[in-house]
Amino acid sequence: MKTIRLSFLHMLKFVRQDKMLFAAMIAPLLAGIAIHFAVPVAEKELIRMTGMPAVLSPYYSLFDVFFASITPVMFCFIAAMVVLEEHDDHIDRYLFVTGLGRNGYFISHIVLPAIFAFLITVVLLPVFGLTSMSVAEILFLSLAGSLQGIIIALLIVTLSSNKLEGMAVTKLSSLMMLGAFVPYFVPVSLNLCASFLPSFWMGKAILDKEPVSMLLSVLASMGWIFIMKKKYDRKI
Amino acid sequence: MIKVDRLTFSYSKNPFIQDMSFSVSEGEIFGFLGPSGAGKSTLQKILLGMLPNYQGSAVVNGTECKKHSSDFYESIGVDFEFSTMYEKLTARENLRFFSSLYHRQTQSIDELLQMVGLQNDAQKRVSEYSKGMKSRLNFVKALLHDPKLLFLDEPTSGLDPTNSRLMKDMILAEKSRGKTILLTTHNMQDATEICDRVAFIVGGQIFAMDSPHNLIMSRGAASVTYTWFDNGEQTASCLLEQISEDQQLQRLIRENRLQSIHSSEPTLNDIFMEITGRTLV
Repeated sequence: MKTIRLSFLHMLKFVRQDKMLFAAMIAPLLAGIAIHFAVPVAEKELIRMTGMPAVLSPYYSLFDVFFASITPVMFCFIAAMVVLEEHDDHIDRYLFVTGLGRNGYFISHIVLPAIFAFLITVVLLPVFGLTSMSVAEILFLSLAGSLQGIIIALLIVTLSSNKLEGMAVTKLSSLMMLGAFVPYFVPVSLNLCASFLPSFWMGKAILDKEPVSMLLSVLASMGWIFIMKKKYDRKI
Repeated sequence: MIKVDRLTFSYSKNPFIQDMSFSVSEGEIFGFLGPSGAGKSTLQKILLGMLPNYQGSAVVNGTECKKHSSDFYESIGVDFEFSTMYEKLTARENLRFFSSLYHRQTQSIDELLQMVGLQNDAQKRVSEYSKGMKSRLNFVKALLHDPKLLFLDEPTSGLDPTNSRLMKDMILAEKSRGKTILLTTHNMQDATEICDRVAFIVGGQIFAMDSPHNLIMSRGAASVTYTWFDNGEQTASCLLEQISEDQQLQRLIRENRLQSIHSSEPTLNDIFMEITGRTLV
């Protein structure tokens, strides 16, 4: 446990020295402030301009789903970049033959950032969220967002051979979050086309207030993590 | 210290390491020699517990490699061929971090840096180091937790003669401190110089295993080459063990007509080629 903690703290020190990664670390806070303050102002302006009774407010819960995904995606993106850099420099290979080991490396570099992101989302979501959510909904969105973050980190690491490719794959992997839009905008008959995406079930769980969708979101994430972890083990 | 018995491993359907058996005693320097793709690195990974899907047995420090716990690495030090340092950190920061990953008492970082002549560069970023400096730093990193067993992968690869000599002296110094050392190398000269025993590996199989001296002496007889002048320079040679039967040489000695004479033993490289039919390239 000591080695996992030290490895995680070392990763944070490493991130602090990298301006791009450090900026990504504070991005969720900036996104939270922007969503919380700018969206209601934009809604007022849009109502005034269009004369409609509501433009954005029916989708406020979608903003919350999206915000719940941002912190884990950013944190896991940072973690994936560190893993890729350490892989390039052969450092991971060395860490595997220390007290940290292969499992300790995975926990300190992928799982702990996701847990950290979960805790931060639990705190930030009630502060910056646009709708009032129950404790269960906050916990669910934070958990589902963190699991999605792990999936994205694994996708970045397994599909990229260096940091530059990693950034391109991050953009591609972030499309996974778009599943949350489907229950809001796509006809019900076509909804299930996106059912393989955990974010689809996140959106559906919040929109329809369905506990089953919460469970399906977690199960879909577990399936993705299981498959991607096998690919990760083959590469790293 | 290491006991491998009927080890077989495969990445695909075809076996990559086949029915390999050997043992390494405590305090011994054991070298694996073979061309690229021979299975040296794979064998090292198995012995380091990184490839658990093997058949047979591979026991290191009394632990079956595929069943090791995290304590396994407390008594093993590894120096990979490439630098495994954080380039943006200083040498001291690197060593401090890596030493924190061991439970046992680690050696003084200052003493280790002094040992390899890097005490004045401890605050430099590793990215500013030369290849020789990185190699020395990598080597002392493997010694941080004072392990009983050292795995060295191509320790002199790419080093100039001075740094190569320094590295070999450091390896021999660790042996004199009682460490067991397992190294993989392409370099026959280094193997002859520092290994107590070597194994020739080609195609995942051990072709020969003995001390470099025994391998050289058992396979190739030393020869004597001599020159003399007779309508231009003439050269001839004979086996050292048959020197008394060479009438021409006897006559040239009697007549004081020899211009040069020297003996030569086959090198480990010659023996490797003779046994395996391969070169080390």
